[in-house]
This record gives sequence, structure tokens and C-alpha cells, in this order.
Amino acid sequence: MSKAIDKASAPYTGSSKKSAGPGFKKNYMGWLFILLAVVGIGLFYFYPMLRALLLSFQSGMGSNLEYAGLDNYIRLFSDPTFIAALTNTFIYLLVQVPVMIILALFFSVLLNDATLKFKGFFRTAIFLPCVTSLVAYAVIFKYLFGVDGLINQFLLELSLISEPLNWLSDPVLAKITIIAAITWRWTGYNMIFYLSALQNIDRSMYEASKIDGATSFQRFFYITVPMLKPIILFTSIISTIGTLQIFDEIMNITNGGPGNATLSISMYIYNLSFEYSPDFGYAATVSYVIVILIVILSLIQFKVAGDDK
Amino acid sequence: MKEFQWKKSRLFAFALLTLIVLAACSSDEESGASGEGDPEEDPDTITAWAWDPNFNIAALEIAEESYDEDIDFEIIENAQDDIVSKLNTGLSSGTMKGMPNIVLIEDQRAQSFLQSYPDAFFPIDDYINPDDFAAYKLAPTSLDDKQYGLPFDTGVTGLFFRTDYLEEAGYSMEDLTDITWEEYIEIGRDVNETTGKDMISLDPNDLGILRVMIQSAGEWYVDEDGTTVNIEGNEPLRKAFENYKAMMEADFVKANSDWSQFISAFNSGDVATVPSGNWIGASIEAEESQAGDWAVAPIPRLDMEGAVNASNQGGSSFYVLNIPGKEKAAEFLGKTFGENEEFYQELVNDVGALGTYTPASDGEAYQAGNDFFGGQSLISDFSTWVEDIPSVNYGMHTYSIEDILAAEMQNYLKGKSLDDALADAQAQAEAQLK
Repeated sequence: MSKAIDKASAPYTGSSKKSAGPGFKKNYMGWLFILLAVVGIGLFYFYPMLRALLLSFQSGMGSNLEYAGLDNYIRLFSDPTFIAALTNTFIYLLVQVPVMIILALFFSVLLNDATLKFKGFFRTAIFLPCVTSLVAYAVIFKYLFGVDGLINQFLLELSLISEPLNWLSDPVLAKITIIAAITWRWTGYNMIFYLSALQNIDRSMYEASKIDGATSFQRFFYITVPMLKPIILFTSIISTIGTLQIFDEIMNITNGGPGNATLSISMYIYNLSFEYSPDFGYAATVSYVIVILIVILSLIQFKVAGDDK
Repeated sequence: MKEFQWKKSRLFAFALLTLIVLAACSSDEESGASGEGDPEEDPDTITAWAWDPNFNIAALEIAEESYDEDIDFEIIENAQDDIVSKLNTGLSSGTMKGMPNIVLIEDQRAQSFLQSYPDAFFPIDDYINPDDFAAYKLAPTSLDDKQYGLPFDTGVTGLFFRTDYLEEAGYSMEDLTDITWEEYIEIGRDVNETTGKDMISLDPNDLGILRVMIQSAGEWYVDEDGTTVNIEGNEPLRKAFENYKAMMEADFVKANSDWSQFISAFNSGDVATVPSGNWIGASIEAEESQAGDWAVAPIPRLDMEGAVNASNQGGSSFYVLNIPGKEKAAEFLGKTFGENEEFYQELVNDVGALGTYTPASDGEAYQAGNDFFGGQSLISDFSTWVEDIPSVNYGMHTYSIEDILAAEMQNYLKGKSLDDALADAQAQAEAQLK
């Protein structure tokens, strides 16, 4: 059978190698075209990942590294600073991601209203924070929430508080400040996804439901939300990953303080490598924790929210 | 056949293109990282990294001018944090490409670099006489009996205070001289009551004041060997914690959360005293409207045997990297910072930088009065206090221990017992540093 094909195909290919069928040749060409990308990704993604994994089994200061087996991974469990960083990161995650997703949904539905005027202006205004540099906005938030900052003055003027709040040096308020900052920065970004998804929802569904007497709440919860489900899943995964890696805001607004009340995992990695006596091995171990967490959380989100396909 | 050849040549072109792109990438990388010339040969240019254009960079510039030999000298300004991370990434990568010849490192970080990267730094014993420098600077800048750092500025501390506020509360210079922190807190209460001003501005994230307190009693977070954690049962640290809490509870602390807020706290006239390293003087003088309102008393001490009214905060030293050009760089440092007394007079006059080179302290510039501080001979006072600073080995873990302490300090302020807080800090530090 194969011989027949070979014979048949030979005149077309003009190749002297009869064993190489057209299928192989096609693949060969295809591989060649993506070769550059494959080599690039291998070299600049997978190779460093592998090296980081090896590094995470080493221990020592600076360049005096030696293999220490699983010591670094065991150390994680008895390292209160790491546990504090992990806890803080999860607090950000559990509070900030839902708040932001709900706000983004809310804004996108408002802005999708056909009767709304100056839509373009509002959309731009809400999206604008995403264009600002992370460091620049973080520094501005730091001054807004300073003891003599605008927020305190505003609250004092309104007589909501009797004396200035220490936004940045109180463990709870500092976390609130960080969460407020991230929410401000990223809500517009998520809103854009919802807005574009809303355009794709068939208007006739809303019309039909109106005729059936559905209230606007019912329309939101039984049409909009289910239709946006894949996008909500996507944005919550992206936000989860982003929040797990949060660094700039904390570095610039509170520097992890007071104590380590706002320390995040990424910030801890930075401290381990650059702030303390450099321990790159342990820092690599902590960064692998982020990798593992992202994989687990994404799987959970797919299971909970995803379709069964 | 024709078609095939065409395909083949297209493939060849594609492969060639790939090769060119990759080659371009790699050659870019090399030329980007290597700097100039053959790495084995002595470079023509000596580069130096430092961070403060008004202070240590200015000092390097003066040094270059006063250096007799013709030298191609390039000073690169980097933020201190950037220097730390660049050194860490550069030295740990194993290649010394792109590293400077001379780099400024803060004393409390020095051991971490010296021990983490053996052979990365060049010992300069042959170029300077370490005994010419203040004794307390030598422990952090040397390793295994080799002198690596050239001691630069001192972080000798003083109690900067507003004479007008203190006078209003009934205190004179004499009442502030050689006091304890407990007395300082009492005075603070008075000042706060009579003038309504805060006594001090503190950043709850920065325990610098704790370090000032414990060094005045000759202790640190670690024992003399630089590695054994010494927190639980460290009496000076215990007292420092108590003082810190007492200050917070006395309600005369103006909180700040960064450097600029700290500066504005005293420039705006909101706080009465600034206990700090002498380098803060330049920032205090920056507010010209307060000229004549300031004076400097010796730093308060801990209320215990052996504590002195002199301590240290900050301060840094120059290091020579073990790369081609090291002899040139070491000689430059040796001939200027290492032996030139006149240079130090200039340093005081032009930059206001107080070095730790002891033979220079008899010079004229050191005796001059400072009008901003009511004619006080500031430099002379500081250089007398330098001699009293107890020498401690900072070890290499100051900042990691301090983060642990900062967290426990928060717990202590919230009501955790001091014994528990220190014991927990000790356990955490030991776990982290083993």
C-alpha cells in the first residue's frame, strides 16, 4: 500500500528520496518556520526556568552556592516572614480580585447603556489609570494617603475623623491603601474586556426577556452574567496571577511595612536577593511557590467556573 | 526540479537570515555588557559608582582634582539601591564585565558583599594605613585581617535640636548634654506640653534609632563574631525597645513614611529635635529661614553601664573591585582619601563631609564655627564624638534581622510582652540565618 503511494507521489515531488513522503516534508517546512520562535522560547523561557529550578535546590550567600537538597523547601514552612508574605498576598487576592471584578462588571454594564451620553469620555476616564506607570501612580497614592495627605485632609474637612489616620503605618489601613491602589489601577483594564464581550450579546435576548417581564436585575443575573462567564473566568485568572506577583505598589507605597504587614511574596523575593545578604537559592524557591500557586489557583478557577468541556 | 531548487534557495535564505539575526543578538549582548577594550588589559578609564551628588560624588570629584597624576576618571551616579542590586546581579553572575573599579558601599552592608563574593574585592592594605582611620570603621570594612574598604564618611550621631523651642520649655544646651534617652523622653513631654510641637519624627518602618541606641552601648543585633544572633537577652536592645515604645506612647512622635516626609517634618518646624547621623546637617541647613535656631548636642545614651554619648548611623566606605585597573584605582584612593590632609580640609569646607581620617581633624577647617548652628564648631564637636563611638561588628544580616525586629516591634507596641517579642525575634532570626 505504502509502496503504491510512494510510486504515485514520486513524480510530483521530484525528490530522489522516495521514503520521505509529502507529510514529512510538510512538517519539516512547518518546523523550520517556527524554529526561530521555538529556539527563542526554549532559550529565553524554558532554560531559565530549568536553571531557576536547579537554583532553588541550592543554598548559600551570594556566589557561595551549594546543593542542599530540599532544605529550602522545608525552610519555607518554618519561615514566619514567608508565611506572613503568603498570608498578605492571599488577603489581597481574596479581597481585591472580587471587588475589582464586581466593580468592573458594574461599570461596563453602566457604560454599555445605549442611552448614555459621552460614553467615550467615561470609558476613557475609567481606562486611563491603566496607562499610567506603576511606579508613578504608586508614588502618588503614597502621598495621597500620607499623614498630611489629601485623603486625610478631605476626611478631616468632612469631620469624618477627628485626627489624621496613619494610612501607611497602621497594619490594617496600610493593607486597605494597597488594595485601593490596585483596584484603582486595574478596574478599567478588566472593564474593557467586559465591554467588548457585552457588544457580542445578542440584543434580542434582552428584548425577549423584557417582553416576558424580566426586571433589569433578572436580566443582569440571568443573561449578562452567564453570557460573560468565559470572560469573567479569564479576567479572574489574569487578576489572580497579577495579584500573586504584586510588587511595584508595595515597594513604593509601604515598602512592605509596617513590620511586614503589607509584604507580598514578590517583595520578599526581592528582599532575599537584594535587601538582605543575597540568598538567590532560597529566593528561587520562593518564586517557585508562586508558580505552583498560580497553577493550582487557575485549575480551581477552571473547575469552578469553566464549562465541562 | 526547478521548483525544488527555488524552495531550497528560499530555505537557505531563511536559514541565513536566522543566523544573521541570532548573530546580531549575541554580538549586541557582548558589546553591551563588556564595556571597552580587552578585559585582560588595564583600562584607561577608572570608573566609580556612588549615589549622592552633593556628598560622596562631590567628594570623589574633589579627590580627582587633588590627585597629582593624570587619570581618566569617570564617576557614575546610581541610586544606592541600584548599586546594591547591580553589584549583586553582576557579582553573582560570575562575570565582572560592566563592573566599576571603585564602588561605595554602606558599612552595614559591607560584610554581606565581602563574604558573599570572595575574591570579588581587592584588599588595599598596601595602599593605606588602616590605623589612620577611626577604629570603629575598621571592623565592618575588613575581612580575615585584610582591609578591603577605604573608610569614607562617618555617621557619627548628634542630637540636632531647635534652641528656640527648647528654651521655651526651659531647657538649655547644658540640659541636653550627656543625657540618657529616658531623660530625653521627659524633656520631650515638657516640650510637647509647652510648645505644642512634636519632639521627634520617626518612620515606623525604619528602626535606625534603635541601632543608634544599641551601638552607643557597644552592642548590635549579632555578637562580635558577626553571625551569632543576639536579640533575646540583649540588654541594650531591650532598653531600646522600651524607649521606643515610651516615645510612641508619650505622643510626641510625628510619624513619617519616607525620606521626604522626614525632611519636611523638621524643615517645616514641626519637630523640636532630630537625633541622627551628622549627614542630616545639610538637610537642616537647607531651610535657611531657621538659621540660628539650631544647635547640636551629643546623642543621648542608654541608661546603663558602659553606654556612651556617641553613636553611629549610616556611613559608607569605598571598595576596589578585583578587576583590571585595580592597582590604579587603589592608588588613587590611597593618595587622596588615604593620606591627603589638605584634601580633607577641602572636603569639610566645600562639601561639609566629615571623613574618618584622624590626622585631618587638627586642620583649620575642622575648627571653624557654623553660623547656621549659632557659631557652634560643629565639625570639631563631631570629630571628638567620632573617637568615642564604640566599635561593633555589624555582621552581614543587619537588614534581615531588622525586618524581623520591625514586625516584632509592631507586636510589642500592640501589647505583646517584651520577653516574648524578643524571644520570638531571636527564634525567627536563627531560623532564617542558619
